[in-house]
Amino acid sequence: MDRGEVIYRTLGLTKSYGEGATAVHALRGVDLSVHKGELLVLLGPSGSGKSTLLNILGGLDTASSGQAWFGDLELTALDADGLTEYRRASVGFVFQFYNLIASLTARENVQLITDIAEDPMLPEEALALVGLGDRLDHFPAQLSGGEQQRVAIARAIAKRPAVLLCDEPTGALDSATGARVLSALDTINREVGTTVFIITHNAVIADMADEVIRFADGAIASHSRNPVRRSPAELSW
Amino acid sequence: MKRLPPLTAKLLRDLWRLRAQALAIALVMAAGVGMAVMSFGMIRSLEATRADYYARYVLADLWVPLRRAPDSTARDLRQIPGVAGVESRIGSAAMLDIAGIAEPVTARLHSLPVSTNQLVLRSGRLPRRDAPDEVVASESFVRAARLELGSTLPALVHGKRITLRLVGTALSPEYVYAVAPGQIFPDNRRFGVLWMAREPLAAALDLRDGFNEALVRLAPGADRAEAIRRIDLATAQYGATGAFGRDMMVSDRFVSSEIDQLRTTVEILPPVFLGVAAFLLNILLARLVDTEREVIGLLKAFGYRSGAIVAHYAQLALLLSLGGVLAGWGLGTWMGRGIAELYQEYFSFPFLTFIAGLDIYLGAAGLALLAVLAGAAGSVWRAQRLTPAEAMRPPAPAHFSAHGLTGRLVPLLPDEPSRMILRGLARRPLRSLASIAGLAAALALYVASASSTDNVDKMIELTFDRGQRADLSIAFAEPRDAHALHELAALPGVQRIEPWRGVSADLSNGPRQQREALLGLPAGAQLMRLVTLDDEVIEPGPNGAIVSSQLARKLALKPGDSIAVRVTEGERVRFTLPVARVVDVPLGAALVVERGLLNRLLREGDVASGAYVMADAAGRDALFARLKQVPMVAGVSVASAALRGIRETIGQSMGIVTLFNTIFAMLIVAGVTYTSARISLSERARDLASMRVLGYRKAEAGFVLLGEQALLALAALPLGLALGIALSRYIAASFSSDLFLIPSAVSTRTLGEGVLVVALAAAATAWLIRRSADRLDLVRALKTRE
Repeated sequence: MDRGEVIYRTLGLTKSYGEGATAVHALRGVDLSVHKGELLVLLGPSGSGKSTLLNILGGLDTASSGQAWFGDLELTALDADGLTEYRRASVGFVFQFYNLIASLTARENVQLITDIAEDPMLPEEALALVGLGDRLDHFPAQLSGGEQQRVAIARAIAKRPAVLLCDEPTGALDSATGARVLSALDTINREVGTTVFIITHNAVIADMADEVIRFADGAIASHSRNPVRRSPAELSW
Repeated sequence: MKRLPPLTAKLLRDLWRLRAQALAIALVMAAGVGMAVMSFGMIRSLEATRADYYARYVLADLWVPLRRAPDSTARDLRQIPGVAGVESRIGSAAMLDIAGIAEPVTARLHSLPVSTNQLVLRSGRLPRRDAPDEVVASESFVRAARLELGSTLPALVHGKRITLRLVGTALSPEYVYAVAPGQIFPDNRRFGVLWMAREPLAAALDLRDGFNEALVRLAPGADRAEAIRRIDLATAQYGATGAFGRDMMVSDRFVSSEIDQLRTTVEILPPVFLGVAAFLLNILLARLVDTEREVIGLLKAFGYRSGAIVAHYAQLALLLSLGGVLAGWGLGTWMGRGIAELYQEYFSFPFLTFIAGLDIYLGAAGLALLAVLAGAAGSVWRAQRLTPAEAMRPPAPAHFSAHGLTGRLVPLLPDEPSRMILRGLARRPLRSLASIAGLAAALALYVASASSTDNVDKMIELTFDRGQRADLSIAFAEPRDAHALHELAALPGVQRIEPWRGVSADLSNGPRQQREALLGLPAGAQLMRLVTLDDEVIEPGPNGAIVSSQLARKLALKPGDSIAVRVTEGERVRFTLPVARVVDVPLGAALVVERGLLNRLLREGDVASGAYVMADAAGRDALFARLKQVPMVAGVSVASAALRGIRETIGQSMGIVTLFNTIFAMLIVAGVTYTSARISLSERARDLASMRVLGYRKAEAGFVLLGEQALLALAALPLGLALGIALSRYIAASFSSDLFLIPSAVSTRTLGEGVLVVALAAAATAWLIRRSADRLDLVRALKTRE
C-alpha cells in the first residue's frame, strides 16, 4: 500500500516535570514519524508517556527539549497563541470524559466548532457520521455515555481536522458501546481520510490500527505495523 | 511537634486557597461592620457629648424673650412651680463693621452669663466688669472673620455706634450650631455671637434695672407645658413673645437632626453591606460543598459524624468573616474619629470624642454573625445531609432544558458562547437574581449618595435662583413705615426694594398649637417668591395664607380650614386666618400672607419689618458701607454669602460622605463580580478548557465567563438606577426636617457617574478574573471527571 506523506515528525522529544533528584521524566526522547491518513493506536501502562506525547502533538502541552513538526510547522517553536491557532485549524480532540458543554445541545456542541472553523461540515452531517442524526436537540444530560462520546467525536471531526487525537475514548464505556464509538472513528479515518491517534489501555483495540506504538517508561518500546486492519465490529473485550 | 488534626489542617489550607474570595467578602463585610460601628458610635458620642456639654455648662431649659422687664420679674418667675432657677440677661442684635469684610456683619450680643449658658473660654480672657468695650466672641466667627485678640469692632447697637474690643474667644452650649436669625446654614464670616459685661450693654439698650430675656432651668420632672403657660402669663405684660424650649432652638434642632440622619444611615447601609456579604458567602460555600462532595462522602465513610462536618464548614464561614469583622471594627473606629473631627468643625463642641463602647463593637459583630449564619446555613445543611454513598457519586450532570422562556430565547442567539452564557444564568436563577440585586444595591448606594449634592443644588436653585432673588435682605430694628422704605430706596446702588412684614405668633387649630413667624409679602413680589418643589411660583392672595406642608401637618390643616392666630408681640392681636393653599417649599417661611392683608389683620398701617433689596452689583460695596451706618437697620443678610455658606457647609460633609460611599459601592461591585466570576470560573473551568482545546482563543473563551458578568451588571443597571432614585427620595424625605424640605433631583450626570463607577469596578475585577481564566491548565481540566 502507498503510504501518504509524513504528517508528524519528532526528534528527541522529552518532557520532564520538576527538577533535580525529584524530577519526573514523562518522555525520555521520542523519535517518531507518522504518515497522513493512518490510524494509530498507542498502548502502554499509566504514566508511560503516551498521553504526554499526544498532548504535545495536539498543542496542549509543550516539550522540555527536542523538536516536533506538524508537516512543515515546528510545533516546539510555537508560543501559546500559535498553538491555539494550530489547534483551531488542524486538530480534533476526543477525551475519556467527553468534555461536552452541559449547557449546549448535541447540535450546539458541534456548532461550537463549526462556528470557528474554516470549512466545516454541517453539524447535522457530522452527527449523522457518528450515527446520532436523530439526537440533535438533546442536552448531554439526556444522552447515554456512548452517545455523549459520539457527540464529542462529531464535534472533533466537524471542522475536518487533519488529525484526530483520542485519549482513552472508550475508557468510560462498556464493550458494545465502545465498539460503536470505535466504528465511528474508523469511519472517519476511512471516509474522510483524517489521521487518527487512539490512546488506550486495551490491547484488543490495536487490531483496528494501521500502526501500533507501545510505550514504556517514557519511551517507545515497540512500533509495529498490522498487516490487516480488523473492523471494530469484530473486536470484543 | 504536635500535628494539626486533619480537618483543622484542611480548614487552614482551604482558607489560604480561598484567600482572594475571602478578601472580597471581608471587605464588603468590613464596610457593613464599619458603618454600623461608626454610626451607632457617633450617635452615642453626639448624644453623650451634647448631654454632658449642656449639663456641665448649664444650658437653660426655656428661653423667655421679652421687650423689657424689671429685675423683680426674675424673682416672680422663680416662684412658678417646676422652675428651678432663673437668670435674666440682656441681648441685642448688632451690626459690625469689620475690616476686610465688605458686607455688614450681623451679630448677636449677650450680656455675660452668670449661672446659665456658661461660656467655655477658648483663648484670651472674659471681659472685665469695669471695661465697657471688652467682648468675647464665638470662636468660629473669630476664626472665619480673621479677627485677633485686641481687634476693635465698630458696632451699631440699637441705633448707637459703639466700639468693642476683642479680648477672648469662647464657645457656648447655646450656639453649638450658630446661625443668624432666619438662616438655616451657618455663615461664620458674617454672623457672630458676642458676650460683654451687662452694665455697658444695658446702657446701650436703655435697660438699666431691667432685662429682655430670661433663661429658665426646670426642676427634674417638672411639667414643662404648664411652666411655659405660667411664664407666658407672668411675662405677657413685658412684651414677651412666648417662652420656648430647646426643641425650638435652631442650634439644638440641628444637632438632633444630625443624629436622626445618622439613624437613617444605620437603617440603610449596614444591612445592604451585610446582605451582600451573606450572599457572597452563600455562593462561595455552596460551590465549595459541591466540589467537596467526595471529600465529605469520604469523611463520613471513615466515620466522621455529621456534627464534625457542620462544624468544619461553619468554622470556615466564621473564619472567612472574622477578618471582615476585625477590619470593620478598625474601619468604624477610624471613620468615627475622622467624622468626630469633622463634626467638631461643623458643630462647636468643646470636646467630641468618638467612643463606641464594647457593646457597639460586639453588636456590630453580632450583626455580621447573623449575616454569616444566613449565608452559610444552606450549604452547611446540605453538606451534613449528604449520605456517604451519595457524596461519593459524582453529582448528576447539570440539567438544562430547551423549554421555558430561555428555551425560546436561546435559539435566537447568534452563537454557542452566547447560548452558554444565557443557559448558565438561567440554570441558577436565584443566584443570578441575587448577583443582580447586589450590583443594583451598589449602584443605588452610589446614586443616592452622590445625588445629595444634586438635591442641594436643586434646593438652592428653587430657593435662590427662582425664589429669593433679592441681593440683600434687610431687617429693621423696629417695624417702620413708608418713610424708612423711601430712605432705603434712596441709598446708592439700590435698584428695587420690596417691603416685608414679619411677626411671631401662636397658631392653633383645635387642640394643636405651634409657634411660627408670619411673613407678609407684597402682592406681585419679584424679589422674594414662594417656589414649590415642583417649581411653581405661588403668590399670596387676598383669600388667606399659604401654609407650608410641614406646618399643615403639625396643625392638621388643609385648604379651607382656619388658623387661630395669636400674635405674640406688639398689640398681641388675635384673628383667624383662612388657609388658601398648602405647599411644599424647600426652604423658607412656614406661613405667608399678602402684606396688605397682614397689616390690616394686625390693625396697623403700612408698616414693614424690613425689605428685600435688588442692588447694582458694581456699587454694592458702597451700599454695604452706607448700610453699616444706618441706625434703623438691625441686620443685613446677603444672598450670595448665604449661598456660599450653604455650599460650604454641605459641600464639606457631602464630599467626604460621597467619597466613602463611592468607595463602598465599588467595593460591593468588585466583591460581587469577583466572587461570582470566580465561582463561575470554577464551575465552567472544564467548559472553558474544552473550548480552548477545541481551538477557541483566550478572548473567545473569556467571553463566556465575562459575558455572564457583563450581562448581570447590565441587568443590574436599570434596577440600580431606579433603586437609587427611590433611595435618594427616601433619604431626602428622612433628612428633611421642619426647618427645610430637601427636594429629590437626581441629575443625569449622577446617574451616568453611577453607571461608570459600576462599569469601572466590574471591568477591573473582570480583568483580574480573566487572568486566572487565561492561565487555566488545559490538560488538567480535561482529565478531571465532571
